[in-house]
Amino acid sequence: MKTCSPPTFACWLLESVLPDPYREAILGDLIEEYTLRIESTSRFTASRWFWSQTCRSVPSMVWSSLRSGNCFMTVSIAMGVYILMGTLKFAADLMISKVVSPDQATRVILAPIVFLTTTAIGGCVAARIRRGATIFLALFVTITVAILIDLKVCSIPVPWWYQFGFLTLGPLAVIITPALFGRLKQRGPVT
Amino acid sequence: MKRGELLGSLEHIILLALVRLDGDAHGMIVRREIEERTGRNISIGAVYATLERLEAKGYVSSFTGEPTPERGGRAKRLFRIEAAGKRALQISEQTIRSMTADLKDRWGTI
Repeated sequence: MKTCSPPTFACWLLESVLPDPYREAILGDLIEEYTLRIESTSRFTASRWFWSQTCRSVPSMVWSSLRSGNCFMTVSIAMGVYILMGTLKFAADLMISKVVSPDQATRVILAPIVFLTTTAIGGCVAARIRRGATIFLALFVTITVAILIDLKVCSIPVPWWYQFGFLTLGPLAVIITPALFGRLKQRGPVT
Repeated sequence: MKRGELLGSLEHIILLALVRLDGDAHGMIVRREIEERTGRNISIGAVYATLERLEAKGYVSSFTGEPTPERGGRAKRLFRIEAAGKRALQISEQTIRSMTADLKDRWGTI
């Protein structure tokens, strides 16, 4: 049997998004079928099939989770973590402006670091409580950043890519960081 | 007939697949059976979402199998059709049969 591993990012996505009861079963089924498909076709064809299954499965499972009534609890958890994240970011910003440097240029440099750290921490906390909450948290972060960009909160003129970075990397940090930590944790005892 | 006993099309197909597979089956086997017989390339997520719904209705039961290396150390979720599921299938089949009775002559015009 060929040694193979399915597309890493697709696995991360499934691990982050799928609801708890069937996450392991769905991932296991896909990995098993992927291995069989690699034997009979090519790695490219098998990976394309894996991605197609991932993209089509996520909406079905998320919708099913919403219909089954877990939605309210999941959104509440996401909202709680979102408030926690906001408090953490406010405290960090205050500390930077008072203790580190009141200079605006320094704050522009440090802002993305603080933002990505808090979103990553928020993602990990949300995933620890309930996996599905990370999707809603990412959605809240996207909406907040989009509103802040639209309101032109930043007093210093910054390039478009600086704002675009916040809009894309923030939600990604919420989703990917817990999956990344989960993967590292899984690898730990094996080695 | 109770309202809850009416099956959706995917529910109907998945229950039939479980009857055909005759025993405990996991999601990917069910998906493969449907693809081979109907040519419908449905997603594994849709299969599990439907199985979850059927389980909530009491038509199927599930249990966790042993984790295996070829599944990346992940356990299977095995499903089995229950008596209530077989009854729902029969009612659904009867309903379709009564609705399609004497329609053979008209198929050409529909």
